[in-house]
Amino acid sequence: MWKEVGDRETGKRRPYSFANRIRSDRIDSLNLSNYKEIVSVHRGAINTLQVFESVFRVFRVMSQASSSGSGSPELEGVFILATASGRKKLKDDIARIRDKYNIPESVYIHYLAKDSLANPFGETTVVYEQQLAADLRFPLDPLVEEVLRIVNLAHGQLHLTFCRFMSKVDLTEGRYLLSGASDGSAAIYDVQRATDHQEGGLIAKHKCIFVVDRQHEHGHKYAISSAIWYPVDTGLFITGSFDHCINVWDTNTTQVILNFKMPGKVYRTAMSSIATSHMLIAAGTEDVQVRLCDIASGAFTHTLSGHRDGVMTVEWSNSSEWVLVTGGCDGAIRFWDIRRAGCFLVLDQSHSQLGRRPPLLERSVTKVLASRSLPAGQSSFVKSRTPQRKTAFGNGAKQLPIYRVPSHTKGFMGQRLHPGMLSSGDRATAHYGAVTGLKVTGDGMYLLSAGSDSRLRLWDIESGCNTLVNFETVRLQTSKALQLAITQDSALVFVPCMTAVKAFDVWSGQTSLTFRGHYEYVNCCWFSSQDQELYTGGNDRQILVWSPSKSEADEVEEGSSKGKMSAMDQDNWSD
Amino acid sequence: MQLIKLNLQPDAKGSYVEVLERFVNLGPIVDFCVVDLERQGQGQVVTCSGAYKDGSLRIVRNGIGINEQASVELQGIKGMWSLRSSTDDLYDTFLVVSFISETRILAMNPDDELEETEIEGFYSQVQTLFCHDAVHNQLVQVTASSIRLVSSTSRELLNEWKAPSGFSVNVATANASQVLLATGGGHLVYLEIGDGVLTEVKQAQLEYEISCLDINPIGENPNYSQLAAVGMWTDISVKIFSLPGLDLVTKEHLGGEIIPRSVLLCAFEGVSYLLCALGDGHLFNFLLNMNTGELTNRKKVSLGTQPITLRTFSSKNTTHVFAASDRPTVIYSSNKKLLYSNVNLKEVSHMCPFNSAAFPDSLAIAKEGELTIGTIDDIQKLHIRSIPLGEYARRICHQEQSRTFAICSLKYNQSSTEESEMYFIRLLDDQTFEFISTYPLDTFEYGCSILSCSFSDDSNVYYCVGTAYVLPEENEPTKGRILVFIVEDGKLQLIAEKETKGAVYSLNAFNGKLLAAINQKIQLYKWMLRDDGSRELQSECGHHGHILALYVQTRGDFIVVGDLMKSISLLIYKIFWMHEEGAIEERARDYNANWMSAVEILDDDIYLGAENNFNLFTVRKNSEGTTDEERGRLEVVGEYHLGEFVNRFRHGSLVMRLPDSDVGQIPTVIFGTVNGVIGVIASLPHEQYIFLEKLQTNLVKIIKGVGGLSHEQWRSFNNEKKTADARNFLDGDLIESFLDLSRSRMEEISKAMCVSVEELCKRIEELTRLH
Repeated sequence: MWKEVGDRETGKRRPYSFANRIRSDRIDSLNLSNYKEIVSVHRGAINTLQVFESVFRVFRVMSQASSSGSGSPELEGVFILATASGRKKLKDDIARIRDKYNIPESVYIHYLAKDSLANPFGETTVVYEQQLAADLRFPLDPLVEEVLRIVNLAHGQLHLTFCRFMSKVDLTEGRYLLSGASDGSAAIYDVQRATDHQEGGLIAKHKCIFVVDRQHEHGHKYAISSAIWYPVDTGLFITGSFDHCINVWDTNTTQVILNFKMPGKVYRTAMSSIATSHMLIAAGTEDVQVRLCDIASGAFTHTLSGHRDGVMTVEWSNSSEWVLVTGGCDGAIRFWDIRRAGCFLVLDQSHSQLGRRPPLLERSVTKVLASRSLPAGQSSFVKSRTPQRKTAFGNGAKQLPIYRVPSHTKGFMGQRLHPGMLSSGDRATAHYGAVTGLKVTGDGMYLLSAGSDSRLRLWDIESGCNTLVNFETVRLQTSKALQLAITQDSALVFVPCMTAVKAFDVWSGQTSLTFRGHYEYVNCCWFSSQDQELYTGGNDRQILVWSPSKSEADEVEEGSSKGKMSAMDQDNWSD
Repeated sequence: MQLIKLNLQPDAKGSYVEVLERFVNLGPIVDFCVVDLERQGQGQVVTCSGAYKDGSLRIVRNGIGINEQASVELQGIKGMWSLRSSTDDLYDTFLVVSFISETRILAMNPDDELEETEIEGFYSQVQTLFCHDAVHNQLVQVTASSIRLVSSTSRELLNEWKAPSGFSVNVATANASQVLLATGGGHLVYLEIGDGVLTEVKQAQLEYEISCLDINPIGENPNYSQLAAVGMWTDISVKIFSLPGLDLVTKEHLGGEIIPRSVLLCAFEGVSYLLCALGDGHLFNFLLNMNTGELTNRKKVSLGTQPITLRTFSSKNTTHVFAASDRPTVIYSSNKKLLYSNVNLKEVSHMCPFNSAAFPDSLAIAKEGELTIGTIDDIQKLHIRSIPLGEYARRICHQEQSRTFAICSLKYNQSSTEESEMYFIRLLDDQTFEFISTYPLDTFEYGCSILSCSFSDDSNVYYCVGTAYVLPEENEPTKGRILVFIVEDGKLQLIAEKETKGAVYSLNAFNGKLLAAINQKIQLYKWMLRDDGSRELQSECGHHGHILALYVQTRGDFIVVGDLMKSISLLIYKIFWMHEEGAIEERARDYNANWMSAVEILDDDIYLGAENNFNLFTVRKNSEGTTDEERGRLEVVGEYHLGEFVNRFRHGSLVMRLPDSDVGQIPTVIFGTVNGVIGVIASLPHEQYIFLEKLQTNLVKIIKGVGGLSHEQWRSFNNEKKTADARNFLDGDLIESFLDLSRSRMEEISKAMCVSVEELCKRIEELTRLH
């Protein structure tokens, strides 16, 4: 880094390339962290890890369809939370917000200017839209109660349908690690701020902020197989368990606010990080059907049929908020457009070249998809409110129909079959055995899959082709869903390989790094692109942190930290 | 940077390329310091610019410099005028210097020396009130009792006009063919100069005493003025009379109680102005209609605190006005807008242009018992002096006590076979900028930080240098040194050295101790006296937990760290009860992932940072938070896209601060960027911020960006992770562009703001004086 810092300063290296260079250098030096330690509270295998990182930081004012079904939803109320200092700007702010979000005068804006209610999290003003439900399922924060009280004053003007109020959400990214384990516990760790230090400040210990386990009144009875953050903020998180339940938790109150009963053990849940118009949890379970659970309504909205066995893994597309990818124990990887019935693509491991074997069904289906305009159900209102969003990646337009349709496929339109798809194409498999892990690259163009056949495959999503990238032979766990991780630039994929984690070059398939540290099988990994840190969890109940190495020489400084030398030599593997 | 023109025909040298204009680029500004070399209360920026063998120090100065050519000690100068030996002469020959009871005439002798001479026709036993070249090879001298017309060739008296008995001339002015004077009792006399004769044309009696006069010809005839400006006692007004009739055309009350001390009719870029300076350092300017004598567009600025004397001079064939006072100022015009640029002289009582053969285009300046002849810099706002070093300066710091600069520089030796780099610590004299001492660093040793500081229990001032050993086989430096030097007899003497376990990215003075940022660690060193009387650095405490602590600033017990990629964190140094040694703890942090490039402390609670994606942001310490969690968080309060990569922030200002103006109280930070931009960030008071924010909002509506690009979008904080509207930052360039708007657009904005155009102009002009 020394040289890069100097080059950046003199203008020899542009800041963007500087950051990329530092990141990749740091990834290359990933090693078991000698300065950061997560103190696992779990008494079971760790199955899932996730650090909160949202794709978009721009806060979106979301509107849920009003219950009365009166067509397009209308914005009925806006609440503003002010910082302690912002009180006197009341009128200015309201005017500014009206101006900025094109809120008509008829919409009621209330300003909560109570200092204790100040939003302490950096955003001076956050706009919340409230359509409060009469039958609130959400536990009430004092703040929400305050809102309700005010709303009640204006009752009649407001139609209360839904409340999603984030009183103490933290929009800082890369800070909170959520883990779920086989003992039914889920815990949250602050990976930025250590709870205490050891070895004279050299080793930072991160104890969990809180844990919810079987003792909790709504805790899961059996193993948690999946724990994910609500993608917008850290106010909610979702756990899926072998006890057939999916719970939605309020992070601040640690209460379950929604509970979905699933037909079998839950293997994996996923939410779309780019979705602006739905709040759906996709759940893969023992059952052959994939279910989509709506946080807004608390009900199942979709049941996706097609897999012939349980669904081990689910993943939303990174380029379209409507596209879901699922991998089943039947070895199939299916693509679904949730706006229409049936799956539109089944990946075939033997299909590796374009045009050789025209997959008829797939094309006729995608034609429909491409030609469809947005469904009527989608509110124009939401669209109009989020137009200036800049995206982190180059692919700004997220809703583009990603499947190009050759014109000659028109003739097949009539042959479209029931989404059950009984043709031979529907029986294609991506892996021999179960698909245990899926990961979409950051640009949404490629899909990585891991199977119980101990294979990793890279798929070109647009064509549905197997790219035949030859990933070096590894052994993978066969009976468990694996959580893969990928770097921000999609250069490396981290795969749990029995007791080790390997980093493969996505495009060449070569192993570039191997992380050995767990004593038993590794189930999950998460890569924090912000800090270039890798978190892994395994059957040995440990959460290990792999961080860019710090020079050894820096570790021990003479003087005041003398005498700590001996302590340093001890094994700092937390076991 | 050059503006070139491609010609179709080759020029004399056969080149098709013609350089139209050259611009100096300061980039990359790797480091800079703000110093007050002339000790006038005005900062200058000394930058490390350029690269490799073209590396140089650039001295960036606001205002106009006088390059002294000659000076004589002369006490009590009351007035100065230059005269030519004949009307057609290109150069001035005589310099008339007036004292309280005599008048001396200096002239250039054949040896190009200034020596005292005599003009027989002049009356030299009294103070001269005014002198001027007149038509027909004549000179005119006005004293308290008379006007004398003298031949410039024979130097003999040709004619004399005597003041009426009982009256003495108080103030007088003249041009080549006219004389206007005022005697006691408000008596105004107008004379015209003929060939060997003075003709009294008109007299007028005014109601009050006259304080100042001017008949500088700005009309078509360069020898004859149609208008006369007169400043009055008692009613504090300026009057415009038409000549030769002495008919009152306009009267303008100035208000207040301070009398006008100098009036001047002048024209810049074809626009006529009346300038009127008061006894308290304020200056009025009016647009003058040459035909009707009407005065419009009154503006008032403060130039200093003492009476001002106005004089025109020309430099590069353009007329400018010199306002002599305690803060001498040059008034010039650019884009038909009057600009004020201060002159880097302390106090000037009188000035006159003196364009002699030996000192062409020079000015004679009377100041503090001294008469100086010097040339003046180009009339522009910023002046850049380049000091080529032939090597790559990377760090700079100034030490006031030894009046030296110390730099870390890198010299490339490029022989035919191999390239080698060598780092030096060089000591430079802060006046001559010559190397006066050099300390070579070891092979592979790089200088990466430098600081001038003193330690507790030690009155000496030291230079501390942090280095890193960059070994070819190592990715990251694992070894470095902190060197402590003292300047003795102009030499760098190594007093102490301390080995470190990494590169010393930053050094700061910290409560009489030395705070170093070494790779991931912040380390505090004490300055200890050993038994043998020598000194050494001893580490006291440290703080881990950074990825790379690149930029550090301190204030009191607080330490602000800018990390490579983890934004800003705030550390605090605590001394435990009954312990000698303290500890450094993290107090708060900004949890955003900003890749830092510079930090600075604006005040106790607000810290400024620049990040990798050309953004600026400010964070606030939240001491009133109710929970540890809240207190442990630095709240982002301001965000702004600068579009420049900032390498360094420094407190300071490029302009002289007038203690009496509001603007003088606003703290400013200067930044330097890779592209060579020097900019100023001012912390505005809240009420002013609100006002200007409103103005900016209105301006954005009126002024369209180049190519229709949105200003709001451009200034939005934007990095890989997020985009957020700019807040709590204002774009000074945009706000100042108000002054360039047409009147109708100004009025549009004034209407939207409900503030008069004049008030807006005044407030913005005040702001422009921040830089």
